[in-house]
Amino acid sequence: MHRQGGLFAGERGFALLMVSPGLLVLALTTTFPLAYLIWSSFQNINLAMPFLDGFAGLDNYRDMLSDGRFWHALQLTGIYTVSSVFLQLVIGLGLALLVMQIPTGQWLFRIVAILPIVLAPVVVGLFWRTLMLAPEFGIVDFIIRTLGFESVNWLGSPTPALVSVILIHTWQWTPFAFLVLLASLASLPLDVFEAARIDKANAFQRFIHITLPLIRPAIIIVVIMRSMIALSAFAAIFAATGGGPGTASEILNLYAYKTSFVELNFGYGSALAVSLLIITLGVSGILFHLRTARRS
Amino acid sequence: MTNRIGKSAIPISKAITRRTVLKATASGVALLSAPAILTGRAHAAGKYMDLESLRSAKIDWRQAEGSKITIGVIPAGYFKNLETVLSDFAALTGIEARLEMTPPGQIRQKAVLDLSSGTGTWASHAADPMYYPLYVANKWIDPLDAYLGNEKLTDNGWFRYEDILAGWRGVTSIDGKPYGIPYDGEATIQVYRKDVFDKLSLKPAETFDEFMSNADKAHDPENRLWGAALRGFRGAGQNMYIYPSIFRAFGGEWFNNSGKMVVNSSEAIAALEWYVKLLNNYAPQGVENWNWPDIADAFGQGTVASYIDAHSSAAIVANPEKSKVVGKIGFARWPKGPSGKRVTSIWNWSFPINGALSNKDKTATWLFIQWAASRETQVATSYAFPGAYKRTGANRTSVWALSDYRALLEAAGDNYISATTTSFAKDTDVEWRPRLPQWPAVGDTMATAIQASLVGQASVTDALNAAQRKIEGILKG
Repeated sequence: MHRQGGLFAGERGFALLMVSPGLLVLALTTTFPLAYLIWSSFQNINLAMPFLDGFAGLDNYRDMLSDGRFWHALQLTGIYTVSSVFLQLVIGLGLALLVMQIPTGQWLFRIVAILPIVLAPVVVGLFWRTLMLAPEFGIVDFIIRTLGFESVNWLGSPTPALVSVILIHTWQWTPFAFLVLLASLASLPLDVFEAARIDKANAFQRFIHITLPLIRPAIIIVVIMRSMIALSAFAAIFAATGGGPGTASEILNLYAYKTSFVELNFGYGSALAVSLLIITLGVSGILFHLRTARRS
Repeated sequence: MTNRIGKSAIPISKAITRRTVLKATASGVALLSAPAILTGRAHAAGKYMDLESLRSAKIDWRQAEGSKITIGVIPAGYFKNLETVLSDFAALTGIEARLEMTPPGQIRQKAVLDLSSGTGTWASHAADPMYYPLYVANKWIDPLDAYLGNEKLTDNGWFRYEDILAGWRGVTSIDGKPYGIPYDGEATIQVYRKDVFDKLSLKPAETFDEFMSNADKAHDPENRLWGAALRGFRGAGQNMYIYPSIFRAFGGEWFNNSGKMVVNSSEAIAALEWYVKLLNNYAPQGVENWNWPDIADAFGQGTVASYIDAHSSAAIVANPEKSKVVGKIGFARWPKGPSGKRVTSIWNWSFPINGALSNKDKTATWLFIQWAASRETQVATSYAFPGAYKRTGANRTSVWALSDYRALLEAAGDNYISATTTSFAKDTDVEWRPRLPQWPAVGDTMATAIQASLVGQASVTDALNAAQRKIEGILKG
């Protein structure tokens, strides 16, 4: 900001006044709860044992180290995030490249692609649980049995349940990758491809050496945004499996929720949520760094 | 939906209630209560129940007139019937009580949120008996002995608290002090397909071994008939509803001699192995996600030969509109476990008083609870209810003895009343589940372990050992 004299200074004060209600709401709805979360992660707050309430220091964080269920949840969070983001990216890019080949009517694909994104995740979870993946009556099971394969209890056995929640998340969010990458592909300069073709570069070489480097910023943005959302996924898994069977699909977010709101141990639940926050910030920090490093 | 305020004079008394609130002065109340008494006289019979019989209690039903209270309940038939007859409560007391329907999956959390924040939004709510230790540890609810023993508030000669089923009173009391008054509840009983059993010359199981062998003999998945089903869905009120009965019947004790909680004893392992073996061998696929409605639906569709669950599930399996097996159903008590014990659930929904209320609202809430738990209201929401659904989970021994009530129940099928009443009398066990303030965490941990071993995520021993470690951490704080 430059000092531009009294007139502008006055305007700045006025501007501050105008945005202050917004800032206040923002502080009340995001900053305060966040600060409260961090504060409570250093406390013993357990409704089941109110007589132990008080300052806990780092106890909650120390407990996490020896909590097998935390490490299990963390591992699942990693598997869930990496595989669902990878699938979204690969399938989204593949679809975008395919649709680019279609000369007219691309708009139709864009509209169809929006549909899963606008559905509430909890609706998506319930829809897959009751309509698609239910044993015996579900559409997926019906197709599998019609093709002559053994019926699979998708949400009722440990590994298929984890695969299912990854696929559900991929199904809902691949269109996002598809739309972003399609837009990016559409804006690529044609003359570079023309020149490559004259130099007799084949399709694969053109894709590796021209398309990919040119759409790298879009890819990184997709990876950043999708990773942040996948790390904090909740509603669809909650509705589809509730983290089960057993703890087979209990990612960190679900474990934090359960600790706080089912077990009523808000101190430890807060510590789990803070650890998820740190992980999410760390991962996105690294990805952002990757993006700017490549650019320079 | 069901406050059927028709052509009766009840709207007048409601209007008075509102005005009473506005003019809460002594003279105002005195002035306005006169027409209210007239209204009462005009409806001595009540719309759904005999108000004179309620008025025979030697208490002043109108002492909290003008109060407005909200009670959290679940959207189940037994509470919808109560909502319908609420107009009679308003006519009797001048109190405006409103039932707020909250799904069973959320009512516990909502109640805990309300109680812990001290807002007093719900004057009372349909409480899970397992939550009383938590409520009491936090002093969120009032002990009810002070209300029961106060002549101004309770005429026990009329109310007869002791008439309420003993097991239910036990489980809503802590250290002998009552904290909630049971309204509706159930016993778990064995339900089986009489036609299938007759054809195969099977008898309802007397022992756990027989239950397993009956399931084996009736099991015929080729013809879409599975041997047995029990609750498999993970939850303190789902698989951790059925497993404790098995655990206790195997001779399991939740606490050892030194008071330490033990969930991986040899009895616990045997009980869980029995459960896993039964369901893995004889239950339909997907049973690990089944709660009682799923079991009752499958039985009603004729695909399950036997199950053990709440007696109230008969409302589904014996309903000609929903079930294909009406007239082919038999009932029996829980089979005996290896220890010789039969252990039924003592599940019931009861009403506590929120400690954050004003004294006047507490009185109003207590009057509501007394009214809801009274014999008159129990009858009015059961066989005497004008709608299609009639409650079958009455809270009083005297109601279970009424011939009209028994006639309603006997229609469900063979041996229904005898199995249920014998269960209430002989098979209840207050220590059915571990009663601790930490129950929500302990119950969920056990539920996770039970489901993990059912689906093979962990062996029975590993799952219970992991639960034991986690529970030790929970209880340590």
